[in-house]
Amino acid sequence: MANINHTNVKKFPPCRTACPAHVNVQGYVSLLQRGKFKEAVELIRKDMPFPAICGRVCFSPCEDACARTNVDQAVAIRALKRLVADIEREQGRVTPKSIPKKHSEKVAIIGAGPAGLTAAYELAKLGYPVTVFERMSENGGMMRYCIPDFRLEKFVVANEIAYIKDLGVEIKTGVEFGKDITLESLRNEGYKAIFIAIGAQQGMKLNVLGEDLEGSINAVDFLRAVALGEHINVGEKVAVVGGGNSAIDAARTAKRLGAKQVMILYRRSREEMPALPHEIAEAERDGIEFYFLVAPKQIIGENGKVKAIECLHMRLGEPDASGRRRPIPISFSEHQYKVDTVIPALGQIAEMSCLPEEFLDKEARMPSMQVDPVTLETKMPGVFAGGDIATGPASIIEAVGAGKRAAVSINLYLIGRDLREGREGNIEETTWVKNWGHIRKKERRYDSPLEKPRLSFEEAKEYLKNIEQKAMFEAFRCLGCGPCAECLGNLELCEADKAVVDEGLCTGCNVCAVVCPFGAIKKNEKEVAQVNEDLCKGCGICAARCPEQAITMKKLPNEQMMSLALATAKE
Amino acid sequence: MGSREHKIVCFMCNWTFCQSETHVPSNVNVVRVMCLGRIDPVIVLETFEKGADAVMMVGCKPPDCHFIEGNVQAERAVKMLKKLVALAGLEPERIKLLLVSPLEDKSFNHYTKQFSSEIAKFGSSPFKIGKLKPEFIVNVLAAKNAASDFRLRVLLGREKELTESVNVYGEKMPKEEFDVLLDEIVKEEFIRHKFHLLTKTKPLSVKDLAKTVEMKPADVLRQIVDMRRRNMIALDHVEGTTPFYKALEVK
Repeated sequence: MANINHTNVKKFPPCRTACPAHVNVQGYVSLLQRGKFKEAVELIRKDMPFPAICGRVCFSPCEDACARTNVDQAVAIRALKRLVADIEREQGRVTPKSIPKKHSEKVAIIGAGPAGLTAAYELAKLGYPVTVFERMSENGGMMRYCIPDFRLEKFVVANEIAYIKDLGVEIKTGVEFGKDITLESLRNEGYKAIFIAIGAQQGMKLNVLGEDLEGSINAVDFLRAVALGEHINVGEKVAVVGGGNSAIDAARTAKRLGAKQVMILYRRSREEMPALPHEIAEAERDGIEFYFLVAPKQIIGENGKVKAIECLHMRLGEPDASGRRRPIPISFSEHQYKVDTVIPALGQIAEMSCLPEEFLDKEARMPSMQVDPVTLETKMPGVFAGGDIATGPASIIEAVGAGKRAAVSINLYLIGRDLREGREGNIEETTWVKNWGHIRKKERRYDSPLEKPRLSFEEAKEYLKNIEQKAMFEAFRCLGCGPCAECLGNLELCEADKAVVDEGLCTGCNVCAVVCPFGAIKKNEKEVAQVNEDLCKGCGICAARCPEQAITMKKLPNEQMMSLALATAKE
Repeated sequence: MGSREHKIVCFMCNWTFCQSETHVPSNVNVVRVMCLGRIDPVIVLETFEKGADAVMMVGCKPPDCHFIEGNVQAERAVKMLKKLVALAGLEPERIKLLLVSPLEDKSFNHYTKQFSSEIAKFGSSPFKIGKLKPEFIVNVLAAKNAASDFRLRVLLGREKELTESVNVYGEKMPKEEFDVLLDEIVKEEFIRHKFHLLTKTKPLSVKDLAKTVEMKPADVLRQIVDMRRRNMIALDHVEGTTPFYKALEVK
């Protein structure tokens, strides 16, 4: 029960706090500093099952939160994660030890996407028999079908899912919820808990004239068709409508399918684009053209085929509910672009038709399922739902976080405990870096060597060669700003090395509190120094300065250091 | 190489060199520590006492310290150590503080070779040759005791507080002034601990002490007064009009 535990407040560094799945970033980066690549992957797998996938396509909130941004630039966390996962895969993936089935209650999970698979993974680790039902012929959900190969290859997804299968999770493909199985039928088959994670699979419609013409295909359908290997002729000119990541993916895919000119039409300006900045940059490198402040009015056809798209210019008004400025059409600004294909990429909605009526949240902006945000319970006991189905379209890592929460809930439900008991909701961001005022921000000394542009369907593999050293340097940039990284004792020295105060010797002179860089030592009410073990990082400066020599280190006390020093000095 | 026999003890910060960068020559004994600030001056002096020829301290170059200012702490310790070692009669060059950037390409072997050739001219540590002058042993022990005593450690620990922030009276101590103060206190502490060691075996008078350490009796007396106040030394007996002092057990 490694990471599903029931303690109270957890103190995490900013990166781990920011991550929706609370992956132990500081821990695996510290392991990387020591060149312990295998251990790093294992550590990531303690928190989530997709190191290689997230290493490629995560929107990395950890990097946004990284304390190093105060010095120069964030540590390239995502690239490091990708690297360790790739190295592991190249050297042969570790097969997990099979986990004894401690529980007999069967759990059914509907949807083999990131949320469903994570929940299955966590529950399998706890010893539950888990079955995942998937509608499509392959597993992975949006990760497999809607992220193009040049961002995330199919074999990477397959490899990660194979690990989950190795844990003993059964995945049944080609089973459609609402048709082949229902909540009723699953109950009758003896499943004690059900997690619905069917995601948001349906592309939203443009709702303009001419959308049904041949040559107009929704981004999700388009990407899925390409992933399935269907032949699609996009013609010479393609217009993609929308500014999210799937718009960028669709545009770049269309370019690779042979389109001469691909344009992205977005109704707001670049600042409001929800797509990731580096994806936008890569799209520009691919030669995608961006047209801002334009919205389609209608699609003009000829002989039933798309001929052109008529657009209106927009201007930005007051911020709306989402915080972005609302686009307002400018009258009489109609203009046309000649195109062969129109790809609307306005976001996805869930297919609710397969769900019982009472689950639906009618007040939500987009149709979604009504669940408790913390426990993911639905109105029906024993039925949980999470991921895109509950939140609306989001990211992989958020789905992973939902999967983890669902696993905790299902475990608590099945062992008959209160679902709100000891949730990991109590997380406190803790860093020793309190004030950056005295640090003048520097230019980054060198560029991260880890990210490599990928311009073709084939992913460059050479980058793996000779990269270990560079990765270790990059990892070194981590300030280790959190409390103990809990890398689980994989570092020889660091393993729980903490300062210990001999209260009999301490005179309360406060020198230790002055020298401690992390403010981990304070005098207590007895006027004796007290070490806060959550903050102590084991540097040992206090032990070196204590005037009464009342402080020693747990793991490397002075005597041991002396005997190490004299191991060869004396002859 | 002539310095082959030189035994170097190297205290190394865990974060400075990657494992792959550290090729350790046979005459160097590397002790990895979490942070160079962990190195207690006493440990370095003890290393000398136990027969090391030289001590190398390897850490990260500011501003790259994993623990914000562990390397600065190490710098302070080395500054004091060199003074103590010089007072004890060893060459201060036998201690080397090497701060390198963890981000650069570097070779540990290169640094050790360089240091080996630097210390070649000093010869082996007097502790290894045997036949030590008792005077010398007392000196090194005095340095060690001074380094483990309250006063120097507090001073070292509070250097940042004293020189970088203002005290309750709004005064700030300039760095130079602190250095002068440190110099003075190191000398004082060293001589006091020397007196303490000398009077341990048999009671001595101020005159005897002044003769042994070649100081003015008046200066010796001033230290003795302070030492009595600190319970380091006590009056043993009086011969005629000359008081004789004997060391008290400290802690």
